[in-house]
Amino acid sequence: MFVAFFESVKYVGHLLPISFLRVFLGYYYLQQALARFQGDFLTRPRLAAQIGEALPNLQVPDWYRVFLETVVIPQWQVFAFLILGLEFAISISYILGYVVRPVALIGMALSFYSLVLSGPQYEDLFKTFIAIHFVMAWIGAGRCLGMDYYFFKRRRGIWW
Amino acid sequence: MKNFLIFLLLIFGGLFSAIVLKKNSDSGKDTRPVLKVFAASSFISQWGPGPWLKEAFEKTCECRVEFQDGADSTILLQRLKSEGRTGGADVVLGFDQYDLELAQQGIEWRKLSLEDVDFDERVRSVLVRSPLVPYDWSLLSFVVRKSDFSVLPKKLDDLMKPELRGQIVMEDPRTSSPGLQFLLWLIQLKGEEKAFQFLAAFNQQLHSYAPSWSTAYGLFQKAQVKTTFSYVTSPVYHLVEDKSTDVIALEMAEGHPAQFEFGGVPATCRNCELAERFLALVLSKEGQKVIMEKNYMFPVVNGVQEGTVFASIPKYKMTELSVIPSVSDRERILKKWAALRRGE
Repeated sequence: MFVAFFESVKYVGHLLPISFLRVFLGYYYLQQALARFQGDFLTRPRLAAQIGEALPNLQVPDWYRVFLETVVIPQWQVFAFLILGLEFAISISYILGYVVRPVALIGMALSFYSLVLSGPQYEDLFKTFIAIHFVMAWIGAGRCLGMDYYFFKRRRGIWW
Repeated sequence: MKNFLIFLLLIFGGLFSAIVLKKNSDSGKDTRPVLKVFAASSFISQWGPGPWLKEAFEKTCECRVEFQDGADSTILLQRLKSEGRTGGADVVLGFDQYDLELAQQGIEWRKLSLEDVDFDERVRSVLVRSPLVPYDWSLLSFVVRKSDFSVLPKKLDDLMKPELRGQIVMEDPRTSSPGLQFLLWLIQLKGEEKAFQFLAAFNQQLHSYAPSWSTAYGLFQKAQVKTTFSYVTSPVYHLVEDKSTDVIALEMAEGHPAQFEFGGVPATCRNCELAERFLALVLSKEGQKVIMEKNYMFPVVNGVQEGTVFASIPKYKMTELSVIPSVSDRERILKKWAALRRGE
């Protein structure tokens, strides 16, 4: 697996700039997740407050609004744990280049959730994130300088 | 797919373990209650009075004092409204008299018992205005270097002299409290129409409008301008730090506006009893002395200034606080001021 990690540069070296972007994005998510873990994201209802503030101005289907109001806000601790876990998953996956394709789809979903809940000042940022995650999934960004190359070589399929 | 699920399982398992470990290690740590004090950066910085108050309070309270930087009063109020009890503010410091109306919209404050506090006579007039309590104050005036003038200006009209053209820096009233004080003082003195007529001419005299007091005062300190609108206590800073008596605050025939800084305990406090004790320390003679010396502002209680350099400040005439304009009225005035600046 270690050999395959570097061998990938030889065979899919044209993806090297994308792998740089992947590692950078992974590092960004790692910083975010660590700040939340060390802060009070899991112990104080920050998530519930954020949703509560955004709800009156949200342009979302009624079923989603009801879901946020009746499920997410009362169970904010479960959802805070899930969001933090998924952020760690994205960061580690992107840095190692492992299971990047399915994780990029999760990244798209998470960025979409942030896009809906954050103010207009972050709109461009999260739209760009969705586009980058999409490109990561489309290309299979873990195949260059990543563990995905090892599995791709042996198993093929859409997961790598 | 199997690899992906195992990967997710490992991540979530790891996170769960990390949370459990963190909780276990936290339970062995300091269990004293935490008093959260929201205040302006100048108050909590190392040269402000915050560190001394924190140290003195922690000696007696069996608690920890945690300062939160409130940036400016508007942001502070937004945070208090949106976070409420979850924000955990026990004491809030840093409003001026023009923030009082906003501070009472949607935020409840605890009524404080102030019978034992010997307030200065000039401060008593603002005590009845709100449940918030003043903790320092000062009059404002134009600060100059005596050596720059052969004859010192004595009234506002003296500032229109040709030799002061481009030599005055003012604070923007939309972003700075002294700037707003000047504008409202002018309106109080002259009436709105005449005040804006005066401003139209006065703007021609200005070097610039600075976004904050510190920027304006910086320009004055670097001798890029001859005067700026500041606190009558500012010369004390030069006396203490530079040993210079050249900087003085002008004594204006029209009198001087006053700025009071207020603090309070929101009704959503978690450690309310500690919060009240902290405010009592702020209003004690020791606390007031530190605030006076670090913030370069007057104390609100009697018996603190005596025997200090602050006692040498001349007794300036205070323009009595008239009705404080409502938030909407203030917005209208500021829009009018902005239109004048744009030359409309």
